[in-house]
Amino acid sequence: MVDLKVEIAPGVILKNPVLTASGTFGYGREYAPYFDISKLGAIITKGLSLQPKTGNPGVRITETACGMLNAIGLENIGVERFLADELPILRKLKAVVIVNIFGNNQSDYAALAAKLDGIAGITALEINISCPNVKAGGIQFGTDPQAAAKLVAAVRKETSLPLITKLSPNVSDIVAVAKAVEEAGSDSLSLINTLLGMAIDLDQKRPILGNVTGGLSGPAIKPVALRMVYQVAQAVSIPVIGIGGIVSARDALEFLLAGATAIEVGTASFINPQTASKIVEGIENYLDDQGCDRITDFIGSLEKNPI
Amino acid sequence: MYLFNTEIVCNQKLSPNIFRLRLKATKDFCREAAPGKFVMLGTDDSLFDPLLRRPFGICRWGEDWFEVVIKIVGKGSCQLSRLESGGAVAIHGPLGNGYPKDQLESVQKPLFLVAGGMGIASIASHIFSALDSKQSLAGTFLFYGAASYSELILRNELTAATAIGLHIHTITDDGSCGRQGLVTQLLATELQNQPQGRVFACGPEPMLKSVQNVLQKVGSEGYISLENRMACGFGVCLGCVQTVLSEDSKSGVETAKVCTQGPVFPAQEVVF
Repeated sequence: MVDLKVEIAPGVILKNPVLTASGTFGYGREYAPYFDISKLGAIITKGLSLQPKTGNPGVRITETACGMLNAIGLENIGVERFLADELPILRKLKAVVIVNIFGNNQSDYAALAAKLDGIAGITALEINISCPNVKAGGIQFGTDPQAAAKLVAAVRKETSLPLITKLSPNVSDIVAVAKAVEEAGSDSLSLINTLLGMAIDLDQKRPILGNVTGGLSGPAIKPVALRMVYQVAQAVSIPVIGIGGIVSARDALEFLLAGATAIEVGTASFINPQTASKIVEGIENYLDDQGCDRITDFIGSLEKNPI
Repeated sequence: MYLFNTEIVCNQKLSPNIFRLRLKATKDFCREAAPGKFVMLGTDDSLFDPLLRRPFGICRWGEDWFEVVIKIVGKGSCQLSRLESGGAVAIHGPLGNGYPKDQLESVQKPLFLVAGGMGIASIASHIFSALDSKQSLAGTFLFYGAASYSELILRNELTAATAIGLHIHTITDDGSCGRQGLVTQLLATELQNQPQGRVFACGPEPMLKSVQNVLQKVGSEGYISLENRMACGFGVCLGCVQTVLSEDSKSGVETAKVCTQGPVFPAQEVVF
């Protein structure tokens, strides 16, 4: 049987490469009735801020061709309630927990990192510098390599936890941002967050989303995500976690071929809550059929010559 | 709640753009079904277009089947409406809290059921449940409004419930059946006569707002079932949240997930 273990950051070895994308997996326990969440490589929580946040008013989601737009606005219960109410449940469920964090400014991020440092049951932090739906959702950091690097360096100072920086695709050169945050001390990268999009109700002549614009996710964005993961994986020496439109094991395997060490399942979990666990099984079956002993042999093994 | 793939037993056209689907279901699923609960319903998950499953109220159920009523409003409902007997569907449910059972079955009558448009699919679930389990609906009034005669659906089935005591009053926007006007006008008149009545309502947001106002004026209690857009149906996407009153929050309000904390809420707690 294939060995699915992957190292997503120095010393962080996961039992398999399947993680859940922040904002699509709640705080984890919501999925416990559907499958054993300890079977996943890790779960990544809904983005947490220092204070609770109520999110955006109006219509928050709308479906588009092979995808969906969301403008939730980072609604979350805040870090205090997470630590008091949610983390103990996740520990009981034996889930490997990565906490996604965001703030209004650099000191918020630093304070969150300091607060979560050394807390038992947290394996790593994912720094969200890429939410397109709120001005203070990190996007002001995520679109400028220097600002991103400065932020990561500030967070780095406050914690010994491994840091994953989640990158925005809404930039002209994602490789430049990736290199900058690698330089600043990020242990790994996850990409891509949602693509900024918009939907209009023709007959009412009005934008559909309360926030007017929103983040596009789902199978529609997979080719963009795959291209960016491929480019970034070649340009950096830290692990890359692929995200964007993954709905099946075959999708996940394509990201691994392109150089991703692990992947995150997002929107697909809304459609069927068991998707992530099915992807673990599917990856295992595929690699077993291929006679692959270690998934690490498969990662990045894309042939140079197109078909 | 359960996840399973199943098939269509039959698809009946109720109006030019409204269809009733009967689906095969597991016995476990049917045991959990209750008035006001819903399912997420999708076609082939491998096609991704439409991508997300859609929420529908469980309108009626038996030992190993249930029914939903679908109005074509977009791509998802259109595709589901075209399914024929044997067509494949994926189910997630029953979901949501449903109407409070103790309130529905309280011997203290009267009970006022208020349905606007497709809200009848949810409201009728209580009527069919009573009909199928041979309970009495004495003291229960249905106020049912729709845009026009052709959108007043399930008329024969609802009429059958008059035999167990249901009183039905219909009203249409254009006067093509019953009185012309809004369903909340019927409710307001009746509640003034019987302010002790309990109200259960489902329909479009303007109607629910109006129900709220009527209840407030008379000082009566009631519950409303919301139909917000949702991606997941089980409390993770946060797409369906509704502002509600909260004693715990400093601002006096908080957001509630319509899928897991609703879809049925005490009428006076919802902040539109």
